[in-house]
This record gives sequence, structure tokens and C-alpha cells, in this order.
Amino acid sequence: MRTLSMLLISLISFPLLFIRKNSVFQTMMMYIVMVFAILLVFIYAPNEQMQGIVQKIFYFHVSSAVTAFSAFFLVFVASIMYLWKNAEWWDAVAVSAAEIGVVFCTLVLITGPIWARPIWGTWWSWDPTLTLTLVLWLIYVAYLMLRVDAHAPKRARFAAVLGIVGYVDIPLVLWSVEKWRTLHPKPVLIQEGGTTGLPFTMILTFTVCVVGFILLFFYLLRERVSIIQSQHTIEVLRHQIDGLSTG
Amino acid sequence: MSTETMVCLKGVIKHFDTITALRGINLELKRGCCLSIFGPNGAGKTTLLRILATLARPSAGTVHIAGYDAVKEAEKVRPLLGVLSHRTFLYGHLTAYENLQFYGRMFGLKKLAERITEVLHVVDLATYTHQLVRTYSRGMQQRLAIARAILHYPQLLLLDEPYTGLDKHAVNRLHNLILRLHSESCTIIMSTHDLHHGLDVCDEIAIQYRGKIVYRGLSLGIDVQEFEQLYSAYVG
Amino acid sequence: MCKNSNNFIALMSGSKIFLQQVLALLAKDLKTEWRTREIFTSMFVFAVLVVVVFNFAIGADTELIRQVASGVIWIALSFASVLGLQRTGQMESEEDSLQGVLLALHDRSALFIAKMLAQMVYLLIVALCTLPLCGMWFHIDFIACIGELGIVFMLGILGLSIVGTLFAMITLHTRAREVMLPMLFLPVSVPLTIASVYATAQLIAGMTLRDNAGYLSLIGVFDIVFFTLALLVFDYIVEE
Repeated sequence: MRTLSMLLISLISFPLLFIRKNSVFQTMMMYIVMVFAILLVFIYAPNEQMQGIVQKIFYFHVSSAVTAFSAFFLVFVASIMYLWKNAEWWDAVAVSAAEIGVVFCTLVLITGPIWARPIWGTWWSWDPTLTLTLVLWLIYVAYLMLRVDAHAPKRARFAAVLGIVGYVDIPLVLWSVEKWRTLHPKPVLIQEGGTTGLPFTMILTFTVCVVGFILLFFYLLRERVSIIQSQHTIEVLRHQIDGLSTG
Repeated sequence: MSTETMVCLKGVIKHFDTITALRGINLELKRGCCLSIFGPNGAGKTTLLRILATLARPSAGTVHIAGYDAVKEAEKVRPLLGVLSHRTFLYGHLTAYENLQFYGRMFGLKKLAERITEVLHVVDLATYTHQLVRTYSRGMQQRLAIARAILHYPQLLLLDEPYTGLDKHAVNRLHNLILRLHSESCTIIMSTHDLHHGLDVCDEIAIQYRGKIVYRGLSLGIDVQEFEQLYSAYVG
Repeated sequence: MCKNSNNFIALMSGSKIFLQQVLALLAKDLKTEWRTREIFTSMFVFAVLVVVVFNFAIGADTELIRQVASGVIWIALSFASVLGLQRTGQMESEEDSLQGVLLALHDRSALFIAKMLAQMVYLLIVALCTLPLCGMWFHIDFIACIGELGIVFMLGILGLSIVGTLFAMITLHTRAREVMLPMLFLPVSVPLTIASVYATAQLIAGMTLRDNAGYLSLIGVFDIVFFTLALLVFDYIVEE
């Protein structure tokens, strides 16, 4: 259920990808929504009864998770498009999405234990989604290492293959980890962090938070892609200059 | 020499990340012809041969071999090619016989055993048939690589600097072999730095420089000194 | 010598060529391996080492060992698999023979299937040799459920071979090949590892195949999904 909603959010935010440059309007929108989200989290949303103020991490934790999943979905799509169209831009999108995705993934893995410790008395519970996030982190860190390591012409190709493989693996990992989880003792206080049965104030805060994170993600993505493209242009120019000077 | 076109390249461009190795190659070669390509290192000769061998795809332009599109119909083109590269493509832990047997099976050759014996005879390795390739000298490995290249009766031979790394005796042996293949109407494209042997065997010459063919003409028995003058005119 | 006579190649139908090429590649790999026995030996010795070290690490508690035996075996197989794959890839980069093979290939997936089958053969033999030792050291009776175990091992090893061969071909051109291969291979094969380990554990504990239907279907789906994926993307990997 949760993964389905994450996939849905990924799909809905997808059109944002096609806005190629960060206009002033979009940058402002992003800042406004993020500030609004932070205000909502700390001032507007009520303190949860059982968990207290620590529960507020939940907003950032889940928003990061949603963003990370969206990022990896984007890597998947961009990888397929790159193999199909062989266009540099799709490769740049894939790398950028992977980098930012890993950052948000790391945030999930950090905020998870911070939230868990006061609530469950333990740093880590092998919750299926959290475990999935850990495995994904490993896969996409390997993705980034592959990009550094491989020789230039084939590098994008290999990375694209990994981008596809990694995402296809997700349902399988989730399935296996859920089966595995049934063998594992559950923590004492089960708060699966679902969004059902929450008061309206919390749902509103949560939604604004997710929207803010997604906007942030696409903002960063566009900046990163334009950096990559600039680097590429510089390299090409440098080679041309070398060619001219020796000619 | 027939009038049928064996090889036809039009506007072939190849990018590697930021480097442009080939900047628009136009090349035509008739069946049964032998072309020697000369040029400094980095001119793109190896890239050109790799594209002809369907081991690399051009970034732009068309490549036709024996009427087939080498990019879209690569599987039809590959059985027609015999490729000799810097590396031998051989397996050190297998014998010469087993190496050729493997390639023969890959190409689906009939009467394989006879063909292997015949080919090993041609390259003068018959006495070493059942020795491991690891134990061969460089010259012997090169000869076996040629045996591998001609095993499946290719119509087009692509040789990338075949004389490099061989001693004088081995060079002469190889040269005679190429002359023999040429006399049997095999189309040959060869890139080499060896002016004497390269000019001796070919019908046509090309000079490649910085990703372009800057000179193309008949060899007409040109000798090495004349060619060196020609070469410096174009390459400097 | 250069004339005619390539007509008989065209006469053979597509699938017959495919099968012949897969067999030729497989024969070549196995023949080379038979000569040197490098791959199998290193895989087997490494697997045994892993089992022995685990035995020392987990201590004298025989009951505990019995419980984790299944996990230990599959870890040993996974790591042995990584070792074998690295050597398989290395074989093709000496003298660039991969290029020679590509020149002769009609359909490039034949190469993938041949490599995958070779890897399966090595892993199966390693498993066959390691299991009796594990049975002896961990005091487990494998014979009782040998048939069902066989199925789980076949499917699991198939999965390891598929994913392993795919990543082996990718990491062939990377600089730190030894590091990249396990980094890619191990996380992606997590579902396979989990399912195989617990299916094996349950079979040893006396349950039947039907009880393990969930795990078996997981392994099966994993194998099918990755096999299809590998065939789809393999061309992109080996092409220049």
C-alpha cells in the first residue's frame, strides 16, 4: 500500500521533469513552500499524544523517503530513455537523480533511527520499508561508484543498465523482506507511521511537506543537470582548442 | 577485379565522449581490391577498421558491406568479414586446433576438420596443431590469428597493422600470405606503418589524418621514396 | 580460399545456429576450465574456507550452528560465485577474445546464456562438493530431503548465475573490477539470498516443498524477471 502511494506520487510529479530550467518563479515557489512546510511542522501541527515532539521527524522522514523513491523511479525512466534514444541529456538526468536520490535516502536512514530510539527504545527495527531503503542505498551507491569507475564510452550504458536493474529489484526485495520480517520479532510499540486515522492538521502538514520536498528535488535536479551539461561543453571546447593549437 | 562495390562508407562520423575520432569518412572499394591505409597514430585508422568490422557503431553516416547495411544488418555482414587486430582473439589454454574448432563451430562451418587442417597448412603451423597457444611465439600467434580470420572463407579481410611486432622472417611470411590471398580475389583493407610491404601488395592507397581521408589514389607501383614525399605533403 | 562457400552458413535456420553457438561457447569455457581447473578450485576452496571460519566464529554451540547452517552455505556460495565470475570475465579480456567472439556471434544473447550456464555448472559442482562437508561438520542430514533441496539449489544457483553473469560483463571494463562486482551483485541478489536461505533452512527442519511455496515462487519470479531483463539489455552492454 505504502509503496503504491509512493509510486503514484513519483508518477504525478514526473511532468515537473520537463521544465528544463529553474526560472525565478519556480525557485521562489520552492522556497516559499519549503518555509511554509517547516512553519507548519513546528508551529501548526499538534504534538502527537504518545510520541511527543519527536514525532515531528516523521514528516521529514517520510517526505525524504517519498522523494528518494521518486528519484530512483526517475533514474529508471531516464535509464530506459537513454538506452532507447542515446541522448546525453537523459544520461545527465539519470546521474543527477541518482546522486540526489542517494542523499535523500541517506536522510531517511538517519532520521529513521533518530525517530525510532525514543519511541521504540531501539535504534533500528527491521521494518520492511526501512530495510528496503537500506538495500536501495547500497545499490545506488554502487551505481555512483560504477560511474566513477567505468571507462568513458561505456560508462553511461552500464549505469543505465544498473539503473533499470535496481528499480526492477524493488518489488522483489520488498516481497522477500516482508517474508523475512515475519520471522523477526516485532518491536514493542508498533507505530508503522501510516497516514490513516490522523487528524486533518497532520495530513495537511504532511502533504505540504511532501510537496515541498518534491519541489526541492526537482530544483536540485535541474541545477545538477545544467552543471553536467556545462562540464561537457567545456570538455568539448577544450578538445577543440587542443586540436586547433597543434594543427 | 570486378566492378562490384564491396565497401561503401558515406559521411561516417564517430564521437567518443568528447573526442571526435572520425570526421566524415567517404570510402568506396571494389570487390577484389586491396587498399592500404597509411597515417600517423591517432588518425583514426583503428576506429575506421573497427566500424568496418561491426565492432563499433558510427555516430553518423552509413556503412555498406557487400550491399548490406553494416549497422542494421550486422549479423549478415559478420560472416563475410575476417578481422586481424592488435590482439589475437585467441585462447591461450587451448590448442591451435581447438581454437579453430571453436570459431569453426561458431560460424557453423561444415567439414570443419578438413578446413582446419587446410588453413593451418596455409599459415605453416601444421606441425604445431596440438600445442597450446600459450607456448607460441608472437609470430606464430599472429599466423594463427590469420588462420582464424580466414577460416570461414571471408570476402573482406580487415587487417589492423598486421606487421607490427614481427621479426623480418615473420613479416616476409605474412606478406607472402597476404599476396596469396589477394591473388585469390579477396578484398583486403589494411592499415600499416610498414611502407615497403604495404605499398607492395596494394592496388590503392589512402592516407588518413585527423579523422579524415586526405588522399586517395591508385598505387600504380609507387615506390617508397615517392610515397614518402607524397605522405609529407599531406601529413607534414 | 576467399571465394564462395559461405552459403552453407545461411542455410542453417536461426535457432539452430543459436543453439550451436551456445554449445560451442560453453564447450570452449568448460574445456579451458578443465585444463587449468583454476576457477573451480578457487571457488571450492573459498567456499570451504567460509564454512570453516563461520564454524569457528559461531563457536561450539552445535544447536546454533544447525540453525545458521543454511545461511552459512548460501553465503559461501554467493562469495564463491563472485570469485568465479571475476575469473570468467578475466578469461575473455586476455587477448581481447571477447571481440573475436562478438564477430562470430549471430545473436549476442548466446554469449550471455553460455556464460550463465558455465557459471551454473561451476556453482553446482561446488555445492555438490561442499554440502557433504557441511553435513558432516554441522551434523545435518541432507540426504533425507535431497530431492527437494536439489530443486531449491538449482533455482537459487540459476538466479545467482543470471545476476552474476550480467554484472560480470558490466564490470569487465571497470578499473576496480574486484570491488565493483560484489558491490553490485550482493545487494541486488538480496531477495534471492533471503528466499534461498529460508527455504533451505525449512527443508532441513523437515518441512515439505509445499510449505515453502512462497519462497520458491519468489526465487522463480526473481529468476524469470532477471533472465528477461538480462536478455533485453545484454546487447547494450557488449556493444561499442
